[in-house]
Amino acid sequence: MLRAVFTPNKVVSKKVMAMIAITQIFAFFVIWIVMAPKIIPRPMEVLQAFGPLWKQGIAGHLWVSLTTNLIALFFTMVISLFISYSTAISFMRPPAAAISKMRFLGLTGLTLIFTLLIGGGLGLKVAIIVFGMTVFTVTNLVAMIRMIPRERYDHARTLRYSEVRIVWEVVVRGKLDEVFEIMRQNAAIGWMMLAMVEGIVRSEGGIGSVLLTQNKYFNLSAVFAIQIMIFFAGIGTDWVLGTLKGVACPWASLKLERR
Amino acid sequence: MNREYGFDGTILRFDDVNIAFGENVILLGVNYEIKNIVRPGMEQGQVVALLGPSGIGKTQLFRLAAGLEIPDATITGSVVIGDEQKVPVRAGIVGVVAQSYPLFMHRKVLDNLVVAGRRAGLSVKAAKEKAMALLEGFGLRDRYDHWPAQLSGGQCQRVAIAQQLMCSEHVVLMDEPFSGLDPLMVDKVVALIQEISLLNEFNTTVVVTHEISAAVAVADHIIVLGRDRDGEGNFIPGAYIKHEFNLIDMGLAWEPDIRRLPKFATFCTELRDLFKEL
Repeated sequence: MLRAVFTPNKVVSKKVMAMIAITQIFAFFVIWIVMAPKIIPRPMEVLQAFGPLWKQGIAGHLWVSLTTNLIALFFTMVISLFISYSTAISFMRPPAAAISKMRFLGLTGLTLIFTLLIGGGLGLKVAIIVFGMTVFTVTNLVAMIRMIPRERYDHARTLRYSEVRIVWEVVVRGKLDEVFEIMRQNAAIGWMMLAMVEGIVRSEGGIGSVLLTQNKYFNLSAVFAIQIMIFFAGIGTDWVLGTLKGVACPWASLKLERR
Repeated sequence: MNREYGFDGTILRFDDVNIAFGENVILLGVNYEIKNIVRPGMEQGQVVALLGPSGIGKTQLFRLAAGLEIPDATITGSVVIGDEQKVPVRAGIVGVVAQSYPLFMHRKVLDNLVVAGRRAGLSVKAAKEKAMALLEGFGLRDRYDHWPAQLSGGQCQRVAIAQQLMCSEHVVLMDEPFSGLDPLMVDKVVALIQEISLLNEFNTTVVVTHEISAAVAVADHIIVLGRDRDGEGNFIPGAYIKHEFNLIDMGLAWEPDIRRLPKFATFCTELRDLFKEL
C-alpha cells in the first residue's frame, strides 16, 4: 500500500486517501507545536482566542463578510459571463481583452476613485471586490471559450443550429461545468481581497476589519483564529459551489481519473 | 449473389472545385459524381471512399462537401445535392461524423438524438420514436439514458452516426472513421457503414480516409486524390481526382468476407503502390 501512495498516477481508495489526509494533518500539528517559531501562537492559544472573539460578535462579522463575498461573487459572475459570452461577437472582443488586461492594475490607486463614485458602505466593498475578481474571471472565461475546438462548433452547425443557438449549446451549456470551476477559483480570490476591502470600509464591520484591529494590537492568537474562520468559510463556499456543479453538471466528473 | 445493378440519378456532385490560399493551390478542378446505385429487389445505398495521402486536401474537400466552407475568393466551384433540383450543400444538409465523434456531452444519448431530430423539423414524439429506432438498429437501445462520457469509443461513434442520420436526409460524410482503431474494431465500423447503406436506397456514405484496406473493404467506389509531377519529378501544386475505381465491376463490393479474397489483397497492394506516385 505504501508503494501505491508514492507511485505516480496511482488511483487509491477513498479509505487510503482519508488515511493520507489524517496523517498529514497530524504531521502539520506536530510541526506547528514543536517546530514553529516562538512568535507563532500554538494551537491551544488559537483555540482559546475564539472565546473572546465570540463575545465581541465575530459571528455577526463573519456573516457580514460572507454575504458581502457572495453578493460580490454574484455580480462578478453576471458581469464576467456577459462579457465573455459576448466575445462571440467580434465587436465585443476588444472590450473583453481590455478588461482582462486590467488585472495588471493595482487596486490601491483605484479605491479612491471607487469611493468618490460610490461613496461607502456595502456598495463600495462590493464594487472593489467585483472589480478585483472580474478582471481575473473574464481572463479565465475568455481563455476557456478560446480553447473550444472548431469541430465542436462545426458539429453543431452540421445539426442545423443557428450561430446564436451554437453559442448557447456549445459555449453556454457545453462549458457550464468549467464555469463552475472558474467560479470556485474566483470565490477564493474574493476571500483574499475581503480583509483589504473591509480594512478600507470599516463602517459595516466584517471579519476583515476585526482582523486588522487584532493585527494592530499584535494579538496573533486572535489573528490566527480569524484566519482559520476565513479558511473554513472559504472551504464552505467552495463545497457549496462544488455541490452545485455536481447537481447541474452530473456528466462532468464521469471520466476523471482522480474523482 | 446477384450482382446486377444500375445507376439512377445523381446523389452528390462536385463541379470544378478549386481551392487555393494565395499562391498555395490545394485542389484543382475536382469533378466527381456520386450516382444512386439501384439493385433489383433490394435497398442498396452507396459507399464512396475518398483516398489520398496526408496533406493533399482531403479535409478541405470534406469541409466543402459538408457545407462548412462556403465558396469565396479562395474556393470556387460547387458541391450540389440531388439530380434535378441541384441544391448547393450547406451545413446541416449532409451528415458529418468527425474523427473524434463529437456529441453534446451535457446531453444524454437519447437527448443528443432528439435535439438533432428537432432541428430537422420533427416533433418531439416523432424524434423520440426515430431516435429509439436508430438506437435499436445500432444495438444501443439500452444506452439511451447514458451520458456520452459513459460510452465506449465505438458506442460514441455509433451514436454520432445516429445523430447525423436524425438530421441529414441520406448523405453522411465520415472523416477518418478507421483512424486509431484496432483491426477488429475496423471490421465493426466497416460492417456498420455497410449496414447504413442497406437501410435506405438513397443512403450514401462518403468515407474520407488514408486506410487503404478498410476503404476497399467498405466502399463500392473509390476515388483517389493525387497530383501530377513535372519533368524533374517535383509535384505540381493542385490535387484532383486522379483515379476512380468501380469496385462493383471489379468484384470487390458487396462481398461477404471480402478480405479473404486474393484479389482484395492484390488490389490493396496496387493502391499502395499508386500512393507512392501521388
